Amino acid sequence: MIPRRAVSAVLPAVLLAAAVAFPFWADRAQPYYLQIAINIAIFAVLALSWDLLARTGQLSLAHAAFYGLGAYASAMLTLRARVPVPVAILAGGVFAVALAAGLGVLTLRLRGIYFAIATLAFSETLRVITNQLRFTGAATGLVVPPLLGGARVAQYLVILAVLLLMVLVSWLVNRSRWHFAFTAIRANEEVAASMGVDVVRYKVLAFMISAFFAGVAGAYYGHVFLFISPIEVYSLAVSVGALVAPIFGGLYTTLGPVIGAIVLRAGEEVLRSTIGGGYLIIYGLILAAVILYMPRGLLGIWAAIVGRRRPS
Amino acid sequence: MSLLELQGVSKAFGGLVAVAEVTLSVDAGQIFAMIGPNGAGKSTTFNLISGLIAPDGGRVFFDGVDVTPAPPAARAHLGIGRTFQVMQPFHDMTVLENVMVGELFGHAVPKSLAEARRDAEAICEFVGISHLMPRDVTGLGVADLKRLEIARALATHPRLLLLDEVMAGLRPTEAQQAVANIKRVRDGGVTVLLIDHVMSSVRDVADRVAVLNFGRKIAEGTFAEVARDPDVIEAYLGEEESVH
Repeated sequence: MIPRRAVSAVLPAVLLAAAVAFPFWADRAQPYYLQIAINIAIFAVLALSWDLLARTGQLSLAHAAFYGLGAYASAMLTLRARVPVPVAILAGGVFAVALAAGLGVLTLRLRGIYFAIATLAFSETLRVITNQLRFTGAATGLVVPPLLGGARVAQYLVILAVLLLMVLVSWLVNRSRWHFAFTAIRANEEVAASMGVDVVRYKVLAFMISAFFAGVAGAYYGHVFLFISPIEVYSLAVSVGALVAPIFGGLYTTLGPVIGAIVLRAGEEVLRSTIGGGYLIIYGLILAAVILYMPRGLLGIWAAIVGRRRPS
Repeated sequence: MSLLELQGVSKAFGGLVAVAEVTLSVDAGQIFAMIGPNGAGKSTTFNLISGLIAPDGGRVFFDGVDVTPAPPAARAHLGIGRTFQVMQPFHDMTVLENVMVGELFGHAVPKSLAEARRDAEAICEFVGISHLMPRDVTGLGVADLKRLEIARALATHPRLLLLDEVMAGLRPTEAQQAVANIKRVRDGGVTVLLIDHVMSSVRDVADRVAVLNFGRKIAEGTFAEVARDPDVIEAYLGEEESVH
């Protein structure tokens, strides 16, 4: 058995060192890898933000809404108001927070599948509206100015910093009284309320924090890949991706969604380049197998190896 | 002095009147039992007192304050704690963590995690589940789950504790232990309002008993008084054996 303290201290440090060193190597040797890494980091931020909300029992299909609104708000601010890109990206997150506060209050009484359906409908509504708005380029989409003049390494370091911040928030939440409130609410709202937990407050707070990071991820995406369209940033695939990674990696944890995002995106790339056409079928089968046979995700397997019951 | 007072409280679900103009007064320091056949409105009354549902009419006073509009969390802070008939442990948490939720959120003044942990351990000790503290709640037996329910409610340090059938389904020795526990809780200064079907336990533990039937209070008094009340006997007709 591997001593778990050593594992939990060394593993994140090694990952971090590798993540910081990576772009300087990749930029010369394999620029394409850098692009994939940026993709993975965006995905990881989105996945972890989804998980944070899920800890309160709210299974969101609205993450495309936050992601898309962040992308559009930031793009419009830079294009129409000449706001500097980094500021606009933060503003994209703030827009998503405002949206989440409203949506959070509206959906407070909904649970489980009803909550999921309401958030999905909301997301789709935004997509349809954006599709019609000439003001935002309608279905054609928008060409978006680059972050930091398009310097890939610097762009990578920005999203890495966002991811680290998201990781820090998630880690702090899981070590604080919030963790108790979130877990109690997820298990049973009425019991939690009877024990003094301010259910509304914690649910809406989780919603807002989650939306901020999803909005920033979407905004960042636009300014790095330089083009956004409704069908892309408001896509159901964004919302589904946001929930698949945590489920795959390990729900309600900090490490699980991040590892899930890395393995899923990297795995997708490997399959794409080795199998080529039809790789999505294999990808789907692996995903289905993991979710069916490993209900606690990759971290569940890891926990079994190091003899720890509940990963954090 | 009455700690809890219901004044003409009513609640209907659709056409079904669950609680009809119930007036009830529980004195501080009492162990007060609410009994009645299934569907008499006992659990609904608990939900009205703890604030999970709002009454259609009437008012709820706690310690002289009208708490009728207060949400459940605010009532918990004021000192109303409760258990649930269907045991509802928080999954993905250990027994100790379940109890810590009450310590962390059950008071108006927040506690630190370390304080909450220490105080929750003391509660587990008091209720007799300290050997289970590090365990996951999945797989606990009925008696332990009921003790956990009580521990969680006690962790909010209530002045009024609502116990919803904490003795049902227990073996006789376990029920005796539960009775002793409830008396110890009362002796610690907590007023207890309980619902139960186990009449021998109610007789042993309750200072005062109210009987509900079809949402109405049909009798109130000591156990001996209500047990010979003709309305009560009629309400329990066919269930007589349980009144002994």
